[in-house]
Amino acid sequence: MQDINKGFSTSTLKRGIMSGLNITWELSKILVPIYFIVTFLKYTPIISWISNLFAPIMNLFGLPGEAAIVLVMGNAVNLYAAVGAMASLTLSIKEISILAIMLSFCHSLLVETALAKKIGLSAVKVIAVRVALAVVSGLVFNILL
Amino acid sequence: MFIIFKEAFIGSFNSVKQIAFIVIPLMLVMEILKDMGVLDKIAQLFSPLVKIYGMKKEAGFPLVIGIVIGLSYGAGIIFQSAKEDQLTRRDLYLLTYFLVAAHAVFEDTAIFMAFGVNGLLLFVTRLVVAALFTFLASRWIKPDDTLLQNSSEVI
Repeated sequence: MQDINKGFSTSTLKRGIMSGLNITWELSKILVPIYFIVTFLKYTPIISWISNLFAPIMNLFGLPGEAAIVLVMGNAVNLYAAVGAMASLTLSIKEISILAIMLSFCHSLLVETALAKKIGLSAVKVIAVRVALAVVSGLVFNILL
Repeated sequence: MFIIFKEAFIGSFNSVKQIAFIVIPLMLVMEILKDMGVLDKIAQLFSPLVKIYGMKKEAGFPLVIGIVIGLSYGAGIIFQSAKEDQLTRRDLYLLTYFLVAAHAVFEDTAIFMAFGVNGLLLFVTRLVVAALFTFLASRWIKPDDTLLQNSSEVI
């Protein structure tokens, strides 16, 4: 009996809920402001400039031009920022799935590349690999989904 | 102006709520599994995989930690077990290659699932691609027995 319940107690439940709340809080701090900014952008001509500018590249992945905002946020800031932008744009499930797989492979480049460099990997190689995985998975998901 | 503000307020609130409903239960389950020692058992399942890569079987534990907990929170544990288990430099490189492609998979998947993405598809694709990519890297990086000498080297 003791083996099955090894180290399991109410403090486990408390820690689990706290870590869930903590993620939700950290996420809100970034998601909410980004959501506001992108929603305001949608009512300005800027969104259509961005959309037209990136449409040729984004269309390769089956995405509208403005989805570039989501990819830029995810890589320059982190996934929470990407999700904030993604939620405020009107996107289909297929488009969200393509963004999700691309972002899963390639996000938070500034922070995570610094970590990889600490271990001794070359920053250029790590970024090249991640961008390549994102591009290939985006192209494949666009065809398969 | 008020309408835009209202749209942003309601929209962002709903997004956070949707995510919270998935992330909080998930973190609770993960904490329970961790305390039940499930991570160690999963690590054992990974030891055949790390052997294919020519890594020490002990590399399974830091690999699982990175896959589950992520790089930012898991880095400390990964470095510590890399030193304790005397992993080689090559082991750590391959470990990192796997983890840059797939880390914090539960949290990341949960966040996208809140928006209707098929979580299983996302999860499996990420792990399979990371495994294949690390396999290719393991053929490229020659065997190397250099151990991690001191802590200042990696931290």
